[in-house]
Amino acid sequence: MKAVRLLVGKDLLLEWRGREIVSVMGLLALLLAIVLGATRSGADAAPSAMWVTYAFGATLGFARTFVIERDHLAGLLLAPLDRGLIFLTKALANWLGLVVVQVLSLPLLGALFTEAIWRHLPALALPLLLGGIGLAAVGTLLGALVVQARLREALLPILMLPVVLPLVIAAVGATAGILEGLPLRAVGSELRLLLAFDIIFVTASFLLFEYVVEE
Amino acid sequence: MRVLLFLGGALLLVGVAWALLVAPIELFQGAPQRIMYVHVPSVITAYVALLVVFVGSVLYLSRRDPRWDRLARSAAELGVLFVSITLLSGAIWGRAVWGAWWTWDARLTTTLVLWFIYVGYLMVRAWAPGVRGASAAAVIGIVGVLDIPVIHWSARILRTLHPQPTVFRVEGPALPAGMLIPLLVNLAAFLVFFSALLLLRIGQERTLDALSEALEEDA
Repeated sequence: MKAVRLLVGKDLLLEWRGREIVSVMGLLALLLAIVLGATRSGADAAPSAMWVTYAFGATLGFARTFVIERDHLAGLLLAPLDRGLIFLTKALANWLGLVVVQVLSLPLLGALFTEAIWRHLPALALPLLLGGIGLAAVGTLLGALVVQARLREALLPILMLPVVLPLVIAAVGATAGILEGLPLRAVGSELRLLLAFDIIFVTASFLLFEYVVEE
Repeated sequence: MRVLLFLGGALLLVGVAWALLVAPIELFQGAPQRIMYVHVPSVITAYVALLVVFVGSVLYLSRRDPRWDRLARSAAELGVLFVSITLLSGAIWGRAVWGAWWTWDARLTTTLVLWFIYVGYLMVRAWAPGVRGASAAAVIGIVGVLDIPVIHWSARILRTLHPQPTVFRVEGPALPAGMLIPLLVNLAAFLVFFSALLLLRIGQERTLDALSEALEEDA
């Protein structure tokens, strides 16, 4: 447990000192929100703008996390932990970074699209958190894969976006329902899908990570 | 392999001729309905191919035998080919009958997303040759199949024009025999042809691997 805490702490400290990932992801998210808002700023455009922004931000930020480790991955792998747990520490750090970006983006999304985003914040937290977990799980696995196989980082969006499309569809559906003021029960099937996606891909990534990082 | 190739070719000739010349004209859709004889066999073959990729990938990661990797690699190429045939024939049929090239139906969306995932698989193979790309591609081959049920589920949230299954249903086929038999002949032709091409590709990959090994020993 201590090792897990240390590894997550290390990633967060690195990020705090450098602010490389959150600043790149955050700026891209804000830019995308502005580009999308400038072209179409009605309230119905808000859910898809929100999730396109997060999905793209994730593909950009998550490739970086393993680039940082590229030269001393062996050191990370020597940690006295199961490879699956090493994956979890990385995914957790990535997820926390994404949550920061989500929080930062909400004032702007609310101002550009609809204030309903602010009014329904407690209910919105559910799709935001569930969707973020799935993005972090898939993004961390595929980010490690792209860096380990020494592929170009440009390949990460191409690999990741099709896989997370069901998550984006469900998250947009849930967000749209909540912004219309529907009770949570009305978007139950979307939330269940998000939860199922998270369970499937956190488990699969946990198991598959060791094949991705081995030399 | 050669026997399968000839058998597949012969079945394909019979199947296509039957579908175009003998099979009855559908009452509402007219001639475009004959696209079914290509569309349905190609989608079934495509999913068989992706299943082979999945099995090959799992076995490669657990056994580390390059033979399984060659199986997965060869099946992935054919999977992309048959998914492409499915999407193109489906779009043409859809335009003729629904008046729309595309609709966000669960099965259409699933098939399209799979096309992207397995093109990504092939890009990983092309850019990361050897063992480096083999494990990475195997992981994608597994993730892609795990994604099928969730894509399908997510796209059900969207609406549909696509007809419900008419051949593989619990009640038995709903297609008249005049259409069902040529369809099954074409399905057999596609599957035999797929097996022949798969064996051909595996053989080529085996030669390629042996060649690059020999080159490495030389160097």
